[in-house]
Amino acid sequence: MKFIKNHLMFILPLMVILLGIEFYLVFERTTQTYEKHLTEGYTMLVVSKKPIKLTHLQKLNPHITKAKEVKRESIVKKVGEGLSSSNSKEIVSALPYFYDIGLDAYLHTQELEKIKLDLEKDNNIKRVETFGSTYNSSYKLFSLVKFILKIFIFFMSIVSLFLIVKQMEIWKYTHKERMQIMEIFGAPMMLRAGVLFRVALTDAIFATLFVGAMLYYVKFYWAPQSGIDVIMHNKERLFATEDMAILFTSSLVIVILAVYWVVSSNKRDVE
Amino acid sequence: MSNVIRASHLTLSYNNGEKEIIKDANFTIKKGEFVFITGPSGSGKSTLLKSLYGALKPSGGNLMVGGQNLANIAPKKLQELRTHLGIIFQDYKLVNEWTVAKNVVLPLMIAGYSRDVQQTQAQRLLHHVKLAEHAERYPLELSGGEQQRVGVARALSKNPVVILADEPTGNLDEYSSNVIWDLMENACQQLDTTVLVVTHKIPTIFSLPYRHFIIESKGVYEVH
Repeated sequence: MKFIKNHLMFILPLMVILLGIEFYLVFERTTQTYEKHLTEGYTMLVVSKKPIKLTHLQKLNPHITKAKEVKRESIVKKVGEGLSSSNSKEIVSALPYFYDIGLDAYLHTQELEKIKLDLEKDNNIKRVETFGSTYNSSYKLFSLVKFILKIFIFFMSIVSLFLIVKQMEIWKYTHKERMQIMEIFGAPMMLRAGVLFRVALTDAIFATLFVGAMLYYVKFYWAPQSGIDVIMHNKERLFATEDMAILFTSSLVIVILAVYWVVSSNKRDVE
Repeated sequence: MSNVIRASHLTLSYNNGEKEIIKDANFTIKKGEFVFITGPSGSGKSTLLKSLYGALKPSGGNLMVGGQNLANIAPKKLQELRTHLGIIFQDYKLVNEWTVAKNVVLPLMIAGYSRDVQQTQAQRLLHHVKLAEHAERYPLELSGGEQQRVGVARALSKNPVVILADEPTGNLDEYSSNVIWDLMENACQQLDTTVLVVTHKIPTIFSLPYRHFIIESKGVYEVH
């Protein structure tokens, strides 16, 4: 019973950290798609006296990736039904040029404002109009959720790391005599800490496998039957195969850091 | 013969110099010599031995062991020096979770010798200390005398430059003590190893020529 408790005291905090990492990865994947939709959904319309090329707009601001010309004929056609073709041509020639602008990323409102100002500096550009009333509020909500999540994962990881180090100190105490004997005979730190590494590494593998199994279950068994639309639609983003490698590498790094921290915290303790 | 150990104006103390144990000691020990250090309880015999394997840093003077000054030795150098020392303790200091054979080859394991070499050396040494049949047993399954023989075998496993022994027969009966003295005499004679033993009393059965130092009133004096 004590044996299981000792190992759980290491495995559980490590699982919390790994779940935090996985949660972050899933959130990043989901938000990337959402950010793309938001970027695409945002409309910036440039009204110009003369035709403008994309390269020229990009010189004004490098965030611009697309400039789709809105056909003036179609505008006249919509608003000027019943006009003769000669009148229509006259109206078309009198109209300025309209461009629908695309951006490279999901940008902050201040950056969007800067793009607008950069474009308006050009004498040929008469006006820059933006359409996206929900954009700003979505962005703010989105940033807030992301920030809270990062803070939460960070603090959870710190607390878990403390628990891992505490458990490792217990193991160090258990194997103290052996480590001291090895030190007397000149064993380097990594060899002395070999026993801690072996125990911690075994537990790290178990923790990674447990987390992997949990996520596998969530993705393939729980999510499809959850009845929650957003989860059912984003099922594919829940747990990717490469996440397993990330989780294992993370647990390995945590183990190495924790062992190194615990062993080097009291170097000359031979009595 | 070259000096293996040289102490000049050596001072040893605890609590950052507050409790002085040895003061201004001067002595040299040459290669292949057998040395006894005696003195009353609490005189500082074990403290001196500790300083010889770098577990206690001199608070004054110099202490040269195997060409390294332990007064200002770097951790890496100390680690390296310890691999050339064979240390025997009164309480054996064996790893109880390891077999006898594994305990014996600890210095070889640290030095990175292959498993084959370790196995051969373990068999040879355990045969030498008459414990060959106990190779796969654990220290706590052996008697005190047998455990100390394992300790001696471990100390000899890498042909050390110096063997440091702290009351090696302190917990043993007369028969077991005689076996241990015999093994240490052999090591000194056959391997030309310097042996330094801290003890309460020099054994009467001892046949080799030896030097004798006594620790008294914080000083280390040679008895002629």
